[in-house]
Amino acid sequence: MLVALLAIMIGATILSGLVTIYYDVPRQMGAQFRSYGANMIFTGTQELFNMEDVEAGVRHIKASELVGVAPYRYETVRIHDRPIMAAGTDMDGARKSSPFWKVSGEWPKADGEIMVGKNVADTFRLREGDSLIATFAPETDGDEIILDNEMTFIVTGILDTGGNEEDYVYLSLDDLEELTGEETTLDVCELSVSASADQLTAYADAISNNVEGINARLVKRVTQSETAVLSKLQALVLLVTIVVLALTMICVATTMTAVVTERRKEIGLRKALGASDASIISEFMGEGLLLGGIGGVFGSLLGFVFAQVVSVSVFNSSISFRFGLLPITVIVSIIVTGIACMLPVKSATNVDPALVLKGE
Amino acid sequence: MFLRMIRGAMFRQWKKMAMIAFTIALGASLATAMLGVMMDVGDKVNQELKTYGANITVVPKDSSIINDLYTIEDNESTGSYLLEEELGKIKTIFWAFNIVDYTPFVSAQSTLANGAPVTVTGTWFNHHMELPTGETLDAGITNLRTWWEITEGKWLDEQADDNRDVAMVGAAVAAQNDIHAGDTLHIEGKEASKELYVQGIFDAGDEEDSAIFVFLDTAQQLAGLEGNIDSIEVSALTTPDNELAEKAAKDPSSLTVKQYETWYCTAYVSSICYQIQEVITDSVASAVRQVADSEGEILEKTQLLMILITILSLIGAALGICNLVTASVMERSSEIGLMKAIGAHNSSVSGLVLTEIVLTAIIGGIIGFFAGIGFAQIIGHTVFGSSIAIRPMVIPIVAVLVVVVTLLGSIPAIRMLLNLRPTEVLHGR
Repeated sequence: MLVALLAIMIGATILSGLVTIYYDVPRQMGAQFRSYGANMIFTGTQELFNMEDVEAGVRHIKASELVGVAPYRYETVRIHDRPIMAAGTDMDGARKSSPFWKVSGEWPKADGEIMVGKNVADTFRLREGDSLIATFAPETDGDEIILDNEMTFIVTGILDTGGNEEDYVYLSLDDLEELTGEETTLDVCELSVSASADQLTAYADAISNNVEGINARLVKRVTQSETAVLSKLQALVLLVTIVVLALTMICVATTMTAVVTERRKEIGLRKALGASDASIISEFMGEGLLLGGIGGVFGSLLGFVFAQVVSVSVFNSSISFRFGLLPITVIVSIIVTGIACMLPVKSATNVDPALVLKGE
Repeated sequence: MFLRMIRGAMFRQWKKMAMIAFTIALGASLATAMLGVMMDVGDKVNQELKTYGANITVVPKDSSIINDLYTIEDNESTGSYLLEEELGKIKTIFWAFNIVDYTPFVSAQSTLANGAPVTVTGTWFNHHMELPTGETLDAGITNLRTWWEITEGKWLDEQADDNRDVAMVGAAVAAQNDIHAGDTLHIEGKEASKELYVQGIFDAGDEEDSAIFVFLDTAQQLAGLEGNIDSIEVSALTTPDNELAEKAAKDPSSLTVKQYETWYCTAYVSSICYQIQEVITDSVASAVRQVADSEGEILEKTQLLMILITILSLIGAALGICNLVTASVMERSSEIGLMKAIGAHNSSVSGLVLTEIVLTAIIGGIIGFFAGIGFAQIIGHTVFGSSIAIRPMVIPIVAVLVVVVTLLGSIPAIRMLLNLRPTEVLHGR
């Protein structure tokens, strides 16, 4: 009996473990795909917009799905009399929405700190800890001459992305506001949202329609490719789950059959003593179903433990127990054991007890 | 006598043996399929991730630092270019096999008939190349811009179009200037002007929407840059970076000879960049971190996920086989009791049982192995549309697994058999 119970438990564990993983993969993998960076962009409908518009837009997105929001304001400043594009941003947001940015050194944390792109650093031979002076010429009002604004920054890190970002310098929005002397308006805002392509389209439409001043667009390159790759991955896990489950269930059934076949003699003896076929079948089935039930319950718990281990070691995040899966696992286990018991019991009851007892 | 008993067991008890063989075959096929898929999943997912486009860009040495900085104020380019004739060399580097696709770009600042300025970018679409190795390759942006949505018309086709004066127009340009597929555009370049037939309108969802894409030679003629290109995008299959690769990326000369060889002969994105720089004169090849890093991350996660699922199914298969073997050996206690009663030694009894089981396991294992290859191919074709290459390593792993698991499964049963008292068993207790 222990053998049969063990077999059912293995089957139930694999069933509940794999199904849990299958349901969890899109969410977890989707989060991994956020390493490709922003998948939604806000631009202003009237050229420029500000943080309030961004906040109004972000409110349309579920907080749990929002990975990062990085507002950007671009101004051309001069460093050592050369024009350089300076981007004002929220460093935390940029870090979250562009996880592929590789910074040697530190991200700027305080005011007066700046991160420079690799090409800028090469051009001016800047290193971490160096200071640089940035100047900005405010717009002249008529003939009145206004002195250049000037600020000193400490370079905290050097940015390596392999893209245009290497030609820019990055500082906080407040610093850029102080340097330019103009109130902060944004050129673009990048968002990284962990949601399916359809959901993203819905968000973008909702934001564009409901928030004045913002036009939300999807970054096609990221969203389309993500949909393509993610659906492949999900199909992979689904197929693997089906193959593994089918094989395991057959395996459980054969073991169960072997265990019951062993008891042919018992069946023969009972029949010889006058037991009806129906009573024998119902007794064996009852036993099988009980085993299926117990094995199913233990198996779904073990399966959850397995899924948890996978989730933690692969994705560094835990998963919640799916209560709906418990009855499904138990029912499937019962059905499989039921079928597996049925065949040998049926064949044993159909045979003349004398033959069975004789061992033929 | 021994052989006759084995044969007897195999033929007279064939039903029971077939059941054991069947279960072992199931376990073995599960192990084979999962191991096969797991070992190949990296390559397959890597191919899929190519839809994100190029992971390496190549630009001329000087421009990589200065060009972008100075074009902020004036649109004059600084005049350093890569040579078009060297493009074929990219397919001759050590890791040529891993270069999936690449395409050159040259841009020409031009004006439309209504005076609006526009960037005309020349590139390959599906450029047909005969490689020195005898292979052929269709390279170009058709495969590097899978996310482009063609809203009107169709892609340009280099191999079919006799008319070279055709163009694809970005959605933003098309909307601003009311251009539709089928129109003819008059484009005034720096050196020449052309009448281009608009074959398609595309929506890229990024800044490329405000450009017009044409064949490489068309843009070169417009800008007077015959034989020159601005940049190359390369899509390569790479191995995720590790410490060695990061160290090498900073300065290859800091490595020891042995480290250098390992690095050079591994498909790290940095070593492929380095090899491209070797063949393209005065070039700087750099990894597009957005693509290259994310690729590595997702590959690792997928592989780890598959490894864990494989381990679970291997454990499941092993326990299943073990279980059945134990059950089926114990069942034979009366037969073995009889043997012992008529004077069989413990060693010959266990030898007999083990030989039977291992023979069955081998038959089941072989059948299961081939079934497993079949399952792996089903998975490969359904999910990735290509067959899974079963690594030779799978064979010994499955063989060892089946034999060890079967033997392990027999241990408790055999121990029990050895302690069996023939009289008790035969008595029916």
